Amino acid sequence: MSHLHLPDGMLPPWLWASGLALALFVLWRSTRGMTPRQVAYQGALGGLMLAAMAIPLGALEYHLTLAGPMGVLLGAAGAFQVGFTVSAILAVMGHGGISTIGLNALITGAGAAGAALVYRSLGPRLRPEWAMAWSTAAGQALAGVLWFAIATVAIRSAPVAGAAVHDPAHATERFTLLALPLWVLGVIAESVVAWGLGRFLARVHPGLMPFGTGPAAPAPGEAA
Amino acid sequence: MIHLLAEVDLRANRGDTVWHRSSAIAKLLLAVAVLGVAVFAPSLRVLLVAHLLGWILALSSRMPLRLLAALVSYPILFSGLFVVARWDGTWQTPALLLLRPVTASLLAAWLVGTTPYPDLFAPVARVLPRPAGDSLFLTYRALFALLQRADRLWRALRLRGGFAGPARRRLSHAGEGLGVLVVHSFERSRRIYETMHLRGHSGRVCGCRHYAEWTPADAFVLATGITFAAACVLVWRTP
Repeated sequence: MSHLHLPDGMLPPWLWASGLALALFVLWRSTRGMTPRQVAYQGALGGLMLAAMAIPLGALEYHLTLAGPMGVLLGAAGAFQVGFTVSAILAVMGHGGISTIGLNALITGAGAAGAALVYRSLGPRLRPEWAMAWSTAAGQALAGVLWFAIATVAIRSAPVAGAAVHDPAHATERFTLLALPLWVLGVIAESVVAWGLGRFLARVHPGLMPFGTGPAAPAPGEAA
Repeated sequence: MIHLLAEVDLRANRGDTVWHRSSAIAKLLLAVAVLGVAVFAPSLRVLLVAHLLGWILALSSRMPLRLLAALVSYPILFSGLFVVARWDGTWQTPALLLLRPVTASLLAAWLVGTTPYPDLFAPVARVLPRPAGDSLFLTYRALFALLQRADRLWRALRLRGGFAGPARRRLSHAGEGLGVLVVHSFERSRRIYETMHLRGHSGRVCGCRHYAEWTPADAFVLATGITFAAACVLVWRTP
């Protein structure tokens, strides 16, 4: 669900302000010791992440994020920086919020970090495309849970200070019914795209993958 | 959505309104102030003032309505989810939920449609860690180089039947297409890195302070800010 960027004005100030502070802290920590070569590579892949968002997947401006593959290719820290940059550029276009740049970056970063961690354990065992697809699914699921938690807080918060929320439990239930199918669709779409991307890179430029070409022999239960 | 950016970027560089002549820092301060009022608005009436100003700014930047409609469509669609979920039978709650993000989107459209990106990103890059600031510029530049390539790639895929058949096949073809772009991005990043070194890269992509050069047109930005503040106080105090 990280592909539905949270806009301005929907979240309580304490939430987006703390999200921004946390994102800036993570950004500061993750950029320490970065080389210009890494900056150039991340900039190029950040552009790709934005370009991938031009591929619409249906209603609600629903599109790919490539957070999972970015996490696998750049690692958790690099992908978080790319996620922050992309969220900032999207925010100045009115796609996602300016106040919510931090939260949107944290959601994208969670998806990328989750994918990077899962790929680390799956990479040596599975073929690259399957490892990429499963790690992307895990990352997207993690990002979706975080997105849903944040959106639920927004749903249950009063739109203005002092006002009450009408039947918050029912509102959360309706929101879940609306958002859950989109989330499941998103996880599937991102994973299948990641599968294709992993297969292509493993064949054409395996050096870009964290574990090179993957295992020499096909993994058990998989066709060669 | 991303394709709109190319058109907005062109208008930011070629436009000739008073906003285009204003300094980036003045516009940024006004946008942040109006956005702050929109987000923290204590009443719907104050929010309406901010929203009205958002439209005035966006329309006076001579951005076509088609472009503006496309830019504000995302927050409307997203807010729709919240409006449906939080429906309480009143019109005030949906109005609040819709007006806040749309106002923010209008302000963003005005800002990005009247300010060239180096001036817009330079003040932001100054408050970010250096590599992240550099990444803003490089990512934005890379996007335009990749968009044309991506367009050609999708067209070729479509013409050769890559987007025919079941969704699973279409998505995996899209993934392979993106793989082509990843390899291209990798090679491009190496060229950029070498170019940066050849040109004596000092460790920061844009060290210019052009964004902070005040111009006579900033008087309009200041006047707009003062009028907005007065209107907010007036509307808030009126019973």
